[in-house]
Amino acid sequence: MPTFFNSWLPFLYLYIGGGIFFLAGLILIRKTKAIDMRLKRDRFWWRVMIFGYFYFALFHAILIIAALYW
Amino acid sequence: MEQALNIGTQIDWIVLVIYMVAMLLFGTYFAKYNKDTNDFFFGGRRFTWWIIAMSIVATGISSHSFVKYSAMGFKYGFSSSMSYINDWFFVPFFLFGWLPIIVYSRIRSIPEYFERRFSPSARFFVTILQLLYLVGYVGIGFLTMGKAILPLMPETISLFGFQIHITLMGLIWVTAIVVGIYITFGGQTAVIFTDLVQGAMLLFAGLLVFFLGVYYVGGFGEFWNILPTTWKLPFAGFNSPAEFNSVGTFWEDAIAGSVGFLFMNMGLIMRFMATKNVHEGRKAATVNILFMLPISAIVVGGGGWVARAMFIKNPSIFPQNFTPDSVFVIVSHILAGPGVFGFIIASIAAALMSTVSTLLNATAAIWVNDVDRPIRIWLKKINKKDKQDEVRAMKVARIATACFTLLGVLAVYAFNSYPTVYQAHAFFHATLTPPLMVAIFFGAFWKKFTPAGLITTVIGGISLMLLGNRYPQELIGPIAHGTPFDPVHPYTYMAALYNLIVCTGVAVIVTLSQKQLKKLSHLILNNSKNKSIMYIFVGASILIVLFDLVIVFAKLNILPLPATFFLTLLMSGFVALITTHFVKYDAEAQTVGLTVWSIHKAKEWFKGRKLNEKEGEVIKVHFKVVEGDEDEINFSHKDMNRMAAEPGDLVYISDTRKWLGGLKSCHSVYGKPHDEDGVVYIRNLHLEKGLFVPGTILEAEKEM
Repeated sequence: MPTFFNSWLPFLYLYIGGGIFFLAGLILIRKTKAIDMRLKRDRFWWRVMIFGYFYFALFHAILIIAALYW
Repeated sequence: MEQALNIGTQIDWIVLVIYMVAMLLFGTYFAKYNKDTNDFFFGGRRFTWWIIAMSIVATGISSHSFVKYSAMGFKYGFSSSMSYINDWFFVPFFLFGWLPIIVYSRIRSIPEYFERRFSPSARFFVTILQLLYLVGYVGIGFLTMGKAILPLMPETISLFGFQIHITLMGLIWVTAIVVGIYITFGGQTAVIFTDLVQGAMLLFAGLLVFFLGVYYVGGFGEFWNILPTTWKLPFAGFNSPAEFNSVGTFWEDAIAGSVGFLFMNMGLIMRFMATKNVHEGRKAATVNILFMLPISAIVVGGGGWVARAMFIKNPSIFPQNFTPDSVFVIVSHILAGPGVFGFIIASIAAALMSTVSTLLNATAAIWVNDVDRPIRIWLKKINKKDKQDEVRAMKVARIATACFTLLGVLAVYAFNSYPTVYQAHAFFHATLTPPLMVAIFFGAFWKKFTPAGLITTVIGGISLMLLGNRYPQELIGPIAHGTPFDPVHPYTYMAALYNLIVCTGVAVIVTLSQKQLKKLSHLILNNSKNKSIMYIFVGASILIVLFDLVIVFAKLNILPLPATFFLTLLMSGFVALITTHFVKYDAEAQTVGLTVWSIHKAKEWFKGRKLNEKEGEVIKVHFKVVEGDEDEINFSHKDMNRMAAEPGDLVYISDTRKWLGGLKSCHSVYGKPHDEDGVVYIRNLHLEKGLFVPGTILEAEKEM
């Protein structure tokens, strides 16, 4: 059985480290008004961006669980 | 050492040649869509999202190729997919920052952005970095292509009585000639359409090998159970082995590679610029990252995964002494019959060609816009305000494409020393991406970033990076997260983190010291010997850069590392002062519309007047050609109301056949309305540009 060091740690490193960049991007485009939340189209893109982060995190988590326990 | 394995049959060869010739003809057919350099480089900015998303698949897959991911998949398992499923973190920056900036500022190349945002000298430095980046990428493409085709070849062939020994480099020269021909004549539209076909073929070929392999080992259950647990994890070990680990891949690929691919890869940027508007560009990028990249991970790594399962079950079916880079070709040969094997190899080779052709087209765009034209302005052969001489520019673009093809082949010699293509690519990313990444990021997202910050990042940052390369254990070791030290290729991945830190550090410190630098510059200016003082700084900077180059490339130990590091920092300070002193920069004027803080202004500039953001309908209309050569088209009052459009707004009209993906379409401006409902009046120029067929119905929508 692989240790935490080689199974979940890479996952956490990726999504916490990458998450910092991702969150910085979200905050920046809101703060600069590059994304205009009054527009329906931009609100759609906001939701897509947040969905994408969790979509990939969930995808990787399922793969790790499958490898370890299935 | 790669070697010819002679595993193709005559039918495979015939299929391979037919496929290549068909792609060549298909690509050159699109030469008719190249009316000017806008068409040649950007495909006329007309395409819908799905055509661009699909064509990006071929570009993306072939650059992160079958060869290297199958090799890593064979050695390390599902973790070979890491690079394809870690690209989401920079999406907000791209979709709502860089993409609208490059489209709305109407730049034709990334270096041009740097001239408008900073100065001509900034454009000069970024042009050099961009050309190095693209030529390097072309070199990686050629190397991968050669490694994919070589195992098929016999060791020697006889031609007109001469015995020709087949070598990797010989093969690369031949494929470079074929690629050079279709990109030289076809341009961006050819690249997009050949990529569309190749993308589909490539997905099919990769999935075919994977499913055939799963079937070969006895079904998915058997395939899954035969593999060890560590091998099924989606991540490599956290910090080992040296040649493939998670933390290294995070910094080299998820950070440097993702930004390199999305923000700096001029070939990809040109694809997004070929979409009909920013919204379509966002869709293309999102669909590509969310859906196409995970599928691509199976397509490119699947060959290696099934190869491992087959190897565990029956190692004798594999040739002795095979290298990991040839595993995809070998496993395809085992699984597919004659002809099908030829098709698989042909689709891979053709897709690899498409990556290279995209990059060559981008390199030619940079040469025409950022080297040829500025030089002609400098030599006073043309005026800055003169319009581009399209005939001459097209000729220069084609010659440049041919020359960069040649340089790309020469770049292969540098990368060929790495044991795998994966490591060669990682070294390339870690080395060239950080300075450009910092330049683009701070340029687009930080208003305070100055030309001094940018130029010091390039010169000082690269010098510090070179020191990292020379003293890896001392400089990169402490931040290497415990990854093992490989003396031949030290910290191939973690070098990306060190390089990012030094480039970012230099950029931030210089930008935050701008006031002090200006004060110092004024002090020098008030001194009677100001010119001499500045020349001393310039001379000292050049000497220190040369000193760094000598100790790095000649591997000399003239001074202890701390002293060398201090000297390089001092030189960075000199460069910052020199740039502040000599470069004229208006922080107010040169940031408006060119940073994320003023996207709205950029949109207004793009349109040329105030924005109309009322949401309207997409309508269908017949068209009539009327006299006149002004670039405007006229709808009825009622149709204008349905589209929520006003005269002067931007409009996009296209053929209603969705499968054309916008090939027959054009942009224009709303003119004064008329009273004939359901009909649009267009001019001859629109007919020619959009290649509309008389009698067909068009679709019209307000762009902004």
